[in-house]
Formats: sequence, C-alpha cells, structure tokens
Amino acid sequence: MEVTSVVQLDQTKAKDECLNLSLRPLQVSDVDDFMVWASDEKVTRFCTWEPYTNKEDGLNYIKNKVVPHPWFRAICVDDRPVGAISVSANSGNDKCRGELGYVLASKYWGKGIVTRAVKMVVDTIFVEWPHLERLEALVDVENVGSQRVLEKAGFQREGVLRKYFILKGRSRDMVMFSLLSTDY
Amino acid sequence: MEVTSVVQLDQTKAKDEYPNLSLRPLQVSDVDDFMVWASDEKNYIKNIVVPHPWLRAICIDDRPVGAISVSANSGNDKCRGELGYVLASKYWGKGIVTRAVKMVVDTIFVEWPHLERLEALVDVENVGSQRELEKAGFQREGVLRKYFIVKGRSRDRVMFSFLSTDYQS
Repeated sequence: MEVTSVVQLDQTKAKDECLNLSLRPLQVSDVDDFMVWASDEKVTRFCTWEPYTNKEDGLNYIKNKVVPHPWFRAICVDDRPVGAISVSANSGNDKCRGELGYVLASKYWGKGIVTRAVKMVVDTIFVEWPHLERLEALVDVENVGSQRVLEKAGFQREGVLRKYFILKGRSRDMVMFSLLSTDY
Repeated sequence: MEVTSVVQLDQTKAKDEYPNLSLRPLQVSDVDDFMVWASDEKNYIKNIVVPHPWLRAICIDDRPVGAISVSANSGNDKCRGELGYVLASKYWGKGIVTRAVKMVVDTIFVEWPHLERLEALVDVENVGSQRELEKAGFQREGVLRKYFIVKGRSRDRVMFSFLSTDYQS
C-alpha cells in the first residue's frame, strides 16, 4: 500500500503550537521512532505491556502486530512518528463496535495532539467501516489526562467498570467512553 | 459427573410458592424441558447450547425450568466473568432468577478464586431482568450505547457487576 494514498492531514486550526500533524501507516522503517515511545516507562504506565528494551522486539511487533492490524496509524509530526492510534475490529454480534487505543511519546504530551488525532480517526472510521456504530475506549480511572482527551474529542462517559481488567498483575477500574456514528 | 455431588440447594427462606429450588448440571435427558424455554420467542437471552465452563439448570422439584451460566475469560480479562440466564416464561415475575443468581454468587468466587468481577449485560428494555439483578445485589454501572447486535439491530445494554469484595456471606 502506498503511503501517500492514505496520509490524513489535520485540517483543523491548531490553537497551540501549529504542529503539522498527520496519520499514516507505521512501517518497519519507522522502528527507531517507535522505540522512542515504546521504551519509555512513563508512556507504558497504563499499557498492558512493559517498555521495549531492544530493537528486535520492536521490529517483530511492527511486522507481526502492526502491519496485519485492521486499522493502525502512526501519529506523525512533520511526517515523523511520535505515537500511534488504532481501532480494533470485532466479529459476529460484536461487530457494531470497535475499540480505540492510542499512545504518544511523553515529550509531546499536553499539546492536544492525541485529541486532534482522535478527531481525525472519528472523521474517517465510520466511513471506512460502514458497519461500525460505536467507537469505544476504556481508560484507567487514574489516567485523568487520557480521560480528558476523549471528553474533548466528543466522547461520552458511560460509567466506571469496576475491576474490569488486569493491568500489570492487578485488577483495575476502567472508565468506559463511547462515540456513536450518530453522535458524529 | 454425578448429579447429586453438584446439586446446590437454595437455603434461603423461600417467601413464595417454590420452596424446592435448586441448581444442577443440564443433561441430554433434560432436552424436553429445555425445549419449553428454548422455543419460547419471548426470551431475550441468546442460545445457551454453546458450551460454557459453568452452566447449571435452574430446577424446581428437580425439573429444569431454565438455565444460568458464567463465562470465563483468559489473559488480562480473566478477573471477570459474564453471567447469563434464561427462564421459561411461565415462571417469570416470581423472583426465581434473583434466587438463582444469589446461589451463583454464593459459589462462583469460591470455585474460581481468580474471579474478581461477575458482570451482566442486559438490554435497556428488559426491565424485569434489570430488577432481578438489582435485587440480587448487583450494581448498575451505566448504559453502553449500541453495544451489541441482537436479531440484526444494535442495542443499548445496561452493565451490572458484582465484585468478590461486594460479597458478604
């Protein structure tokens, strides 16, 4: 797949630093940029995985998980990957919903980048996947920054699911957010 | 598996007309009783023939009138299990599901020590089922909009949960 045919440019006016933000597929050649956020324990704090310690693991992840993923994009500033955003697909009676996930290098936190990236995903995913009616996201109760991102992107907070999920050996309460194709 | 070794008797004081309520494994010989509720189109709960790691017939006088089950998850999801139940419509509105759910709660956290959360998703329009869970001590956590497809249409579901820490014998 040619990279240029699936570059999404952020058309909104950025109120803070005028960052040139785009989404495009993440490739094996991006592994060094990937390792910047994947090896950072600040970034992985609320992720199920531990920080990456070697480039070989990073390459395997991109080859085996990213490339075949139903919808995975690098979040790019000036065409350099600084994070990633993805939507998982479900099958059967669950296929009306997809789960949103994202990660961003800590150097770029607090600039509204993920909010803009989420809005770009919302702009396209319901068109690319007409069967999708619900985009949902589960956020750790303590991850207040991430909850704010979703609220600013127009997601609705539906409730706290208690002891929903095991994160690094402990069960965690998760806040459920959703955005419907009809909200959009 | 011998039936008698896994029969759970309802020890609570039955206030209504069905004192002899029990849970036991469902067997092939129960098929005629099973068909009474499985062919009943008023039921909201989907097909329970899919094998479950924990499934029991809800019995009155040892005759199956419904079924109740808990699904298991793996990996990072294994702290939670999903409760499901179905009851022949003739027996609706008598608190039978509430009693059966309480019997499950009494045993599942002991049988599955890794389980911390028992959850149930109920259609927003299924008010009767929501009431049964509230009476059984479940906490309503929120409405998950257009969560699941039932008979071709996406439906809003109410999420309920009961934690092992909620449980007091």
